[in-house]
Amino acid sequence: MTRRRIALLLAALVAASGVLPLLLLAIFGLQILRQRGEQGSQEALQAIAGQAAARVAAYIAQQREMLRAIATAAGGVVDAPQRLRDVSLDAPSLGRLRLITAETPTRDFPAMLKPDRVEAAFRGVEVASDTYIAELSPAMDVCVPAGRPGRAVCATLDLLELQRQVQRIRVGEQGFALAFDRFGRLVAAGSGTMRAAVLSGEPVAESAIATALATGKPAPARLRNGEGRDVLAGWASLPEPGWSIAVEQPVEEALRGARTALGFLSLGAALTLLISIAVGSAFARRLLTALELEERFKTAGRIAAGVTHDLGHRLTILQQIEQLAAMNDVDYLPRIRESLAAEVATLRRFVTDFSDLTREAKAADFLPIELNAFAESVRLGAQGYANEAKVTVEVQPAPSELWVRGDRYLLERAALNLTRNAIEASKPGSAVRLRIERGNGAAVLAVEDRGQGVEPDRIATLFESFSSTKRTGVHVGVGLPNVRRIALAHGGTVSVKSKPGEGSTFTLSLPVSDSQSSSPSAPATMP
Amino acid sequence: MWGPLGDLAPTSTESALASIAQPWVYETLVTFDAAGQLKPILAGRFDRLPGDRIRVELRQDATFSDGAPVSEEDVARSLKNSGLGVVHSDGGLVIESRQRGLPTDALLAAVRVFREAQGKLLGSGPFAVAAQTETEIRLTRRIPRAGAINDVRLVAYASSRDAFAHTLKGDANFVVDLESRWLDFFRGVPSLQVIHGTGRSTDAILFNTQLPRTERVQLAEVLASQRVRDLAYGEGECAESRANAGGEVSLPPGPPLRILSWGPFERLGLAARRVLGDRGGQLSHLPPQETVSRMKSGDFDLVTARPLKWPPSAMALIWHSGSANNFVRYSNSAVDRAIDAGDWSAAEVALRDDPPAALVCTRDHLAVVDVHIKNPMLGPYEVLETLADWEVTE
Repeated sequence: MTRRRIALLLAALVAASGVLPLLLLAIFGLQILRQRGEQGSQEALQAIAGQAAARVAAYIAQQREMLRAIATAAGGVVDAPQRLRDVSLDAPSLGRLRLITAETPTRDFPAMLKPDRVEAAFRGVEVASDTYIAELSPAMDVCVPAGRPGRAVCATLDLLELQRQVQRIRVGEQGFALAFDRFGRLVAAGSGTMRAAVLSGEPVAESAIATALATGKPAPARLRNGEGRDVLAGWASLPEPGWSIAVEQPVEEALRGARTALGFLSLGAALTLLISIAVGSAFARRLLTALELEERFKTAGRIAAGVTHDLGHRLTILQQIEQLAAMNDVDYLPRIRESLAAEVATLRRFVTDFSDLTREAKAADFLPIELNAFAESVRLGAQGYANEAKVTVEVQPAPSELWVRGDRYLLERAALNLTRNAIEASKPGSAVRLRIERGNGAAVLAVEDRGQGVEPDRIATLFESFSSTKRTGVHVGVGLPNVRRIALAHGGTVSVKSKPGEGSTFTLSLPVSDSQSSSPSAPATMP
Repeated sequence: MWGPLGDLAPTSTESALASIAQPWVYETLVTFDAAGQLKPILAGRFDRLPGDRIRVELRQDATFSDGAPVSEEDVARSLKNSGLGVVHSDGGLVIESRQRGLPTDALLAAVRVFREAQGKLLGSGPFAVAAQTETEIRLTRRIPRAGAINDVRLVAYASSRDAFAHTLKGDANFVVDLESRWLDFFRGVPSLQVIHGTGRSTDAILFNTQLPRTERVQLAEVLASQRVRDLAYGEGECAESRANAGGEVSLPPGPPLRILSWGPFERLGLAARRVLGDRGGQLSHLPPQETVSRMKSGDFDLVTARPLKWPPSAMALIWHSGSANNFVRYSNSAVDRAIDAGDWSAAEVALRDDPPAALVCTRDHLAVVDVHIKNPMLGPYEVLETLADWEVTE
């Protein structure tokens, strides 16, 4: 993982941990606000519908009261027809006022009132039709007693003014009102697109609700309206003339405030998060650079200490050999030769260990490796060392072939390192086992010994560079870190389980390869 | 539209709804512009000659819908039954009125030129009749033009409610002759726009010319008052209300005046009677034929009517002595002289001095049009004479 990515991740984690809880809290608050807003809008629409219904009722009551007054004043006089015509000039909304008597042909009765109902008006009963659409606007036929028995004054109330009032109701930019008669027919529509239904009589989406409302059933406060939009609605009904008033506002508009606030908050949070990440990332990178620099100095110090210690130790031995040689004693010659050979071997291994550190895993070097055969190869490679230590190395193969892909040289170096460590840790006469198995989808090479084991407090730093405590001989502490580096470069891991006095098991886990072809695959990045 | 469409042919004598489309199919030689001045259509040029004669030269590129050029003979034939005399004169036609008191230009602007071919009457306008039934006439533009109206369907619905409902649904793009009380119904409809045009006629109360001149002057002031307009019409309905509120005038004592009203004028009659106070006599609301009969017999004092007010030459049709449309038999030599001389201002002054009527209320022409039409307008002479020039947006 690059320093940039680590810095970004760190910054994102810090920023998210700071901003996200606040954001969640704000969203929660806005949801409450939204619900309250919806409730408030519905109450407002309900109130407007109620006011509109009250105005409708008052208007009709006023017209009928006017008709009663005219009928009382002019309906009973001798020249009643003429008086009624004159007075109609002052009451245009009553249309043409007609005096109806028992002699009046029924064809001249108001069209929407049955003759028996008109005749009831002769007997002093005021009668009125349901509202209907006359030409374009709603109308209502009304007959009232005319002050003398056997007479009635009838009028067709022109409710155009009511229609206009309903059409003029506006809520916000897109909210409007609708009026329905008791049969659910639209009689006035604030929505221009729904107005054709006033004339055609075709039912709209709200018609069924209006009919139900007229029978006392509750109306929904949120619905899909005749324009096909989701709306909040307030309803009110009028027992007389049986109208229902709906005041609707698109949900989108009614809740625009809460939505806008939510949008701004989200945008603000996102911006804050991005700025935090950007700023945090820049600081983290600087910090990581400083840390890395410091770590390099520490590493260089540890390498210098290890190299100084080990080479100093080797130098001391070589000085002793030199002193032995300076004695010119032939009897010491074999000993001198053996000692020099041992030191040369030791220094070669020393160089090899460092040389391994410089080798990177390359995709071109990745080849299919059968892990059972590989373990056998490792066993043979360690055999000489094992013989010297009088330790046996055994291979416990997997029941079937187990393939991985990798740099054979590096994997061999890693496996040999683990095996030689195990041999070193083992008592003469004991055995080291190389166990191959498939576990959790990975190919596993486990190296087991029955040595002294590792102290628990050391296990955590066992794979860190230059942390070896064996600082005798050639152990400068780069072996296990190198094993870990190689494992990671192959997309694998290395781990250890150990009990003091019972021995240790180092486990190298690698991704299983289904393919045995030798085409290269991308290596994981070498840390 | 609603009601029977009638015949589109220019020879039809009945006043049909279809006549609204005549200007698109059958052109006239001349028409009136917004200022009331004559302007050429089928005529390439025209000149006024002494003796109320007009010399006309035809447009050279004019053709009938079958491609035949419009000839002087076609024009002469079209003018034959219109009370106009035609004489060929050196590459043109000299036209004069043969109806006493009726000016040549007023008659000429009303005559449509046509040619009969295979039993059909062809016109030289931008549109031709593609199909015609009792309820629908389809016209197509002779030479289609991008961005313009190329097809017109005149559809007659059974009632105004049907017509309005179909317009609101988008089945129709135009409703003409809208009452102002219905305007609110169409306002706020996203697909429609309301357009206005100056009305050409005025609701009036005509006087029996037997009434003394001085009394008619007073009656004109009393009846053409804001009070009458307030009683008879809605607020802002009349152009006169916007121009001048008028003052209060009282009438001298006298016998009650008998008032005739008909058709849509009942409220105007009632308002007139009320404003006349003690002078307001019997008000009779009669069928139109009976009203005309009473007018011709002089059995009335006041009668409601809607005479033409524009173009100015129209006053010749209504108020000139002996004119066929002068139902109240009004006659004033000063008015006749001014009309004969084409001096409309002088005619108006003379009419004010000896008024034949109280001109009460001129109402706008109102129509509802699809919003996709960019430049709709009504008038100035024929209600929809400019339709061929309207532009349509996508």
